[in-house]
Amino acid sequence: MKVSTKGRYALEIAADLAMHSDSEHRESLKNIARRRGLSEKYLERIVKMLSRAGIISSARGVRGGYCLAKDAREITLLEILEASEGELAPVPCLTRETDCGIECGQCPTREVWGEMWEIIKKTAGEVTVADLQSQAPSQIQI
Amino acid sequence: MRLSTKGRYGLRALVDLAAHEEGEAVSLARTAQRQKLSLNYLEQVFGMLRRAGIVAGVKGSNGGFRLTRDMDEITVKEVLEALEGEFSIAEDAGEDTQDPVRNALRELLWDEIDRRVDQFLQEKTLGSLVREYRRNLEKDAAMDSI
Repeated sequence: MKVSTKGRYALEIAADLAMHSDSEHRESLKNIARRRGLSEKYLERIVKMLSRAGIISSARGVRGGYCLAKDAREITLLEILEASEGELAPVPCLTRETDCGIECGQCPTREVWGEMWEIIKKTAGEVTVADLQSQAPSQIQI
Repeated sequence: MRLSTKGRYGLRALVDLAAHEEGEAVSLARTAQRQKLSLNYLEQVFGMLRRAGIVAGVKGSNGGFRLTRDMDEITVKEVLEALEGEFSIAEDAGEDTQDPVRNALRELLWDEIDRRVDQFLQEKTLGSLVREYRRNLEKDAAMDSI
């Protein structure tokens, strides 16, 4: 059971933007990609998802680029994962209807998966981008 | 973030088997039928549970599988570990330990999720799932008889 790279990189992008940009000084995807050691193309897809969810803001033009759309203290890691990670729940039937052959009301395991999911959501909901920022103060400025 | 079908269906079948066990072996075919799972697949999964010492095979005309211990002594954690390996939500997320952002994520998020889920799975017993399951079945039966 693992979180996908999409979810992980989305978290890294948000933390990177918190450290290297603000609404006056937007950051280019190129710089983010270089610092994170990731492909620009791939990051572009993730950045789009985060923009759509209102987590980061983008602007075109000479002073264009990306920055967080809200205060880093107001963005939880859960929000970022929900915007970027397609399959956040430990089993698919928690978020959509699936045909597993039996009724949900008679499922011997639905509750245990549900509780597991709640723990994951609760934990990710307690941490903000600002927490990541203060936990990683030694980030070298490039 | 997904559990494999082994973990999902294996635990489901094991709860079914334990709920229908009355001091004797339960046929896997019945469990397969009730849970609408393939018998072939369940045989593989129960092979893993047997090797992990959670169930034992019983030969003979009334053969099948039985739990090796009281169901309150079997944790969901050991069942899932037998089927899925150890639980870790992002086990390769710390490959670059020089990176402060990745380290921060590992400390504040991934390790914390692993720790809490691990504790939950360790406290949750097969017995508690079986009782929950029986209650749900009774509820359903009561609804049907109205």
